[in-house]
This record gives sequence, structure tokens and C-alpha cells, in this order.
Amino acid sequence: MPTGEDLGIVLLTLRVAGVATALVLVPGVLAGLGLARYRGPGRGALETLLSLPLVLPPTAIGIVLLEALSPRRSLGGWLAAHGLELVFTWRGAVLAAMVMASPLLVRSARTAFEEVDPRLVGIARTLGCSPVRAFLRVTLPLARRGILAGVVLAFSRALGEFGATIMVAGSIPGRTRTLALAIFQEHQVGADAEAFRLVGITVLLAFGALWVAEWVGRRGTHTR
Amino acid sequence: MIEIALTLPLAATTLAVEATLPDGATAVMGPSGAGKTSLLEAMAGLRPRTRGRLVVNGEVLLDGARGVRLPPERRRVGYVPQDAQLFPHLSVRQNVLFGARAPRGRVDGMLEVLELGRLLERHPGTLSGGERQRVALARALATDPRLLLLDEPLAGLDVALRERVLPYLLRLRAEWNVPTLYVTHQLGEAIVLAERVLVLAAGRVARQVPPLALLAAEAPEASAERDLENFLPGRVRTHDAAGGVTRVTLDGGGEMTVPLAREHAPGSAVTLVVRAEDVLVAVEAPHGLSARNVFAAGVADCARAGADVTLRCNLVEGSLAVLVRLTPAAVATLEIRPGVRVWLAIKSHSVRLT
Repeated sequence: MPTGEDLGIVLLTLRVAGVATALVLVPGVLAGLGLARYRGPGRGALETLLSLPLVLPPTAIGIVLLEALSPRRSLGGWLAAHGLELVFTWRGAVLAAMVMASPLLVRSARTAFEEVDPRLVGIARTLGCSPVRAFLRVTLPLARRGILAGVVLAFSRALGEFGATIMVAGSIPGRTRTLALAIFQEHQVGADAEAFRLVGITVLLAFGALWVAEWVGRRGTHTR
Repeated sequence: MIEIALTLPLAATTLAVEATLPDGATAVMGPSGAGKTSLLEAMAGLRPRTRGRLVVNGEVLLDGARGVRLPPERRRVGYVPQDAQLFPHLSVRQNVLFGARAPRGRVDGMLEVLELGRLLERHPGTLSGGERQRVALARALATDPRLLLLDEPLAGLDVALRERVLPYLLRLRAEWNVPTLYVTHQLGEAIVLAERVLVLAAGRVARQVPPLALLAAEAPEASAERDLENFLPGRVRTHDAAGGVTRVTLDGGGEMTVPLAREHAPGSAVTLVVRAEDVLVAVEAPHGLSARNVFAAGVADCARAGADVTLRCNLVEGSLAVLVRLTPAAVATLEIRPGVRVWLAIKSHSVRLT
């Protein structure tokens, strides 16, 4: 049976993954739009940069983040001076999850935007829409399903983030130890039964996320 | 009046169109790749590389020299692309009302005439080609445009639908008087719908002529085979069962008597189809004639086409024009030429009601 400690881990994990997904949503969708529309120089480099977390070992990303955020460095020092401690806090776990999950959202959003016929946007303009309104009334609704799929992928990725998180946030019980970290920890101390119980909970969470996405995707979707 | 002086680089050539078009409808014709669709898109403001000048009834939409370039949303130009381009995530109603600014009553009237009332809750994916075209037309008209650009609105429609949409376009012209550019490959459509034809070739204006002039230039075999038909929009006034006739009030004014057609309820919109060769011409007011429908008209245009002569006659009462096909001998005997007064007689049984 799940224990009170398990509940704490689950809530922490959901909080980290949920906040990370929420924070990455708008910039991720905008980056996807940029990649879909921008045809100028530097496009390839930008695309590679945004996909980097997908191809690098998470621990590599983690150590770079850790170094940059260290209070000894200018960025980390500046953040600390403004009250934002990231290293070895749950916020650090959020940042690690954001970086690792963002490429999935960006790539899904880019594909979704590329599939919207630009001529429909032109028609919306002739019907009186400014570029922003045309985006909100035509492009975004038509790309909605692809973006939603990207959100689910990003959330799932954040839910299971391990490598970068353990580098930036450590594995502090009750503070930064998410499900993925806890499973590893239990296994390390030989408590495989506990580890498997946590695996079961993780599976339930992942299915839950998929179901919610499916439900949201159907709601408001018209006949095809 | 529309003043066009536009240039736009295309893939194979450069669009360079200069034309001054009076109000009314202009057909744009020419071979594929001549730049017809590009011209419409440039006028709608959808081609950022367009240079030059575009003025519609005194409103400057584009003037490179003065740094004026209205974005598409401020041009108030209704554009109906060839494949309709309806918004797939919206219902027919939401599509039509997407940019609506015409008064509510006018939009409702338009939906009725285009027979879209029953389709309003449907989605574009479930519509036929003709239905999509009508929705796209309604969507553009609902914005109350000052210029209408139609890219082959009747292409891909079957004959019955063509006969239903075509008179609507005519009615539009008569009632709303929106200047219209109308891309078509069908000379027959151009003759019925447009006052003039802009012929494009390789991005340039090859000719700007009355439609009948193109008919005259056609190969004789082609024009002999062409069915020239008049499409006259109107509404059923009464049924006279004893007399065996139905009386129809023409939209442009005047009345037409046709064989009893009870399937069309009084008040309903109908289209009268009359072949050009079924119209008789007299140079004096006829009397004692069995033909029920006699209209005074003026000959506006006259062109030799193949073995025949085609006349375009404007009815004195109302705003409709009627095409008439005669033999050259008849034209010579009656001394028919542009400007003369004639009387057109149409037998009731020559009129088809749709």
C-alpha cells in the first residue's frame, strides 16, 4: 500500500512536472512557431540548439546548468541576490525538467504549425484579421492537437526526468526527490519492493496524463 | 473605377498589369500561368512583393510612390480563391460570420439566396464542392467588400449548380454593385457575367475588350457549338392555373410569363434560362404576337461569331442584359447595329425554370 511518504513524493513530482510544463508552454509554442515560419540565416543553428537536450546525455546538460547556476557564477549569483535559489531546491528540479522537456514541445509545435495552410491565414487577413488575430483565430486552433500532443510528451518527459535533475537539484528526501530519483534511491539501498511500488505509481500517473490529454483533445474538437 | 498598375515577380515571368476598369464586372481570362490568380492575390494584398499602385473608387490601397500599402485586413477586398479555402475548424455559420460587417438583414438575405440556411451547422469537411464555393462567396460578401475578387467560382460545379450560383452572381451585380474581377476559362460565363474581359498573357494585359469581341475572334466551329444561354434571376409572383402560366418578376425589373411551374412557391427565387437563339428580334413594337414576353431593349453590342451574329441587348425596363443570336442575313435586313431600339420576344415554352 502507498504510504504517506509516497504521497509526498507523488505531489512533489506532479508539482515539478506541472510547473515545468506550464512555464515551458508559451515560450515553447512561440519557438515552434518561429522555427516553422522563420526562413532566414541561422535557422539550422537555432534548431540544433533547441534540440540539443534531446541528443545530449541529461547529466551533461545537468552539469552545465549546475555550473551556470552556482552562486559563484555571475548568473547564479544574480539569481541568488534576487532570492531565486535554484541549486539543490525543487525549483532547480523544475528548471532541469524544463530544459529536458522543451525540445519535445518545440518540435511538436513546429510540425503542427507547419501543417497549417498559410493560405488560410491569408484568407483570414482579407476577412479583416490583423496578423495576431489571424494567429489566434486560425493558426492556433488548427495547430491545437499537435501542440497538445507536445504538451503531453513534455509533461511525461518532465515526470521521468532523472539525469539533469539529480545534478542540479540532488536527491533530497522531501525536497527534491521525485519519483524517478526515489526509484533509483530505493533500489540502491536494496529496497526493491518499495522501488516497484513507486514504479506502479509512476505508471498510473503516466496513464492519467495520457487520458487527460485524450479527453481535452476530444472536447471541442469538431467532426473531421 | 479601379486603377491598376501593379508589378510582381513570378516564378517564370513578371506580372506587370496596367488597366483602368470602370465599375461593374470584369472577366480575367488567359492561359494557365498568365498570372490571373497572382493578380487577384496581389490586389487582395497577399503578395508582399507587389509594387505599384492600386486605387478602388478613389480609395488608395497601394501606392509605392507615396509609401501607401494597406495590409489585407484594411483593404476591404473580398477574395474567393478557387478551392474556397474554408476554415476547417469552424462551422459554416462561423465561416460566414468570420469577418462579417454587412448588416444582419443583408447577411440573412444572402444566406437565403445562396441556399445556405440548412448547412449552417455543418462543417466544411462534409460539404460538396458547390456548397463550399457558395459558403466562400457568402463569407467574402458578409464583409461588405468594396471590391470582389473571384477565382473561377463556377469551376468544379455541375451544370445544375452553375445555373444556381451564376444568377446569384448576376443578382449581386445588379443589387450590390460591388466592382468584381472574375477569373474564368469559360467565354460563355464571361459573356453572361462581365462587361469587359481583361486578357492576360505572360503576366501582361494582352487585350481589354468587350466579351463579344472574343466570341467574334473564336474559331467558327467553337462558337457554333457553344450554347449561349441567358440566365435571368427573378421571383415567382403568381401561378395562373387556368391560363397554364406562372408569372415571374425579374430581379432587374419587368415580368416574364412561363409555363405553369407550381413546384416553385410564390415568392421563391428562380432562374429563367433562355437560349440566345430562342429570342426573336423586331425593330418595331410587335402586336398580335403569340409570344407572351416582349421587352423593349437597346442593342449594346454586336459581334459576328462563326456563322451567326450575337447581340447583347440591354432591357429598357430594369438592368438586365439579354444575349440574342441571329443570322447575318437577319441582321442585315433589319439594319441592326449598336444603338438601335429593338423589341425582344420570347415564347413561354422557350423558358426553362430552375
